[in-house]
Amino acid sequence: MIQLAPPSLVGEKVRLRPAREEDMRLLHRWIHTPEVRHWLHASDRPDGTLEEVTRRFWSNWDAVEGRFWIIETAEGRPAGNVRLLGIDPFHLRAELAISIGEPDCFSLGLGTDAIRLVLGYAFEDLGLRRVDLQTDADNARAIRCYEKCGFVREGVLRARRLRYGEPIDMLAMGVLREEWQAGQAS
Amino acid sequence: MISESILQGEKVRLRPVEENDLPHFVGWLADREVTRWLAAMGDPPTLDDEYEWYERRRSDPDSVMWSIETVEGRLAGNVELRLSAQPRRAEIGIAIHDKTLWGQGLGTDAVRLVLAYAFEELELNRVELTTDEANERAIRCYEKCGFVREGLLRQHRFIDGQFGNTLMMSVLREEWAKSQPRAAVRRAV
Repeated sequence: MIQLAPPSLVGEKVRLRPAREEDMRLLHRWIHTPEVRHWLHASDRPDGTLEEVTRRFWSNWDAVEGRFWIIETAEGRPAGNVRLLGIDPFHLRAELAISIGEPDCFSLGLGTDAIRLVLGYAFEDLGLRRVDLQTDADNARAIRCYEKCGFVREGVLRARRLRYGEPIDMLAMGVLREEWQAGQAS
Repeated sequence: MISESILQGEKVRLRPVEENDLPHFVGWLADREVTRWLAAMGDPPTLDDEYEWYERRRSDPDSVMWSIETVEGRLAGNVELRLSAQPRRAEIGIAIHDKTLWGQGLGTDAVRLVLAYAFEELELNRVELTTDEANERAIRCYEKCGFVREGLLRQHRFIDGQFGNTLMMSVLREEWAKSQPRAAVRRAV
């Protein structure tokens, strides 16, 4: 079952809200911003026009059990997006993906705050037991953020994707519900 | 899609999946000993479910699928290459459904055929898979075919009321090319 409108979630630095049709222009600009695109899993895949990006966005959300939020700063400015993908009700797990789309919003802790909100939703509201993600092995800033949120390194996927045509390694990480709970208590 | 290529190995032949195969799969998938190791099994599929699965695969451009049969023409299972949306990468999934044919090297032969197809015909860089950490027979087979252990996803699967870990493995184009005695491997551009 597809839920296009997850609940809004409010943290210390960010507010997460469901995506709207008019956000597509923003998403299109973000994925074509070089410092953002550099880290995207699909950095080497042609994206095409705004119409094509929009069509793919909505068709993806029909195909995958997922949740998609726009990350807004406390002032209400859209700064990026965060997703739960492949929510698996059988194995009780999902994959997390996040991208801060405005370079002047990097390193402000917005991502960390957004991930904490999404993990709370995943473990408490959806009742999941595990959330995983993959990131470029050389993305030190992202890895630090994920570790702050409780993610543990689980493996290195060699030459997993291409960036500017060159194969690069990716890191697999995961966080279990009890690890997240322990982090909440401390 | 259902591959139209027929790949001939020493012990198996890979050929297009046919509708006639489906009742056999349904029969085998009712056996928990067979489905124990499959990634996402809820209730055993009915024949209607299996037709639906077949139609979905047929119309999916990112799936390349074969039935595995013995050289005598006896159906044994199936194998699939799932192409990633990312360039030059795919995931392999294989099952020998007929358990009277387990332990005879059919899976190893089938995986080798699919790897040759993936690296030579499709010019991929990386073929990956995930499997249950406890599935020692499968892991031995994958290692024989050149797959390398890359990591362990903790409590990644919930099987018969228990959490289990998932092993991640892959084989890269250059590793596979080195393992081929004579085959001239085309350099991808």
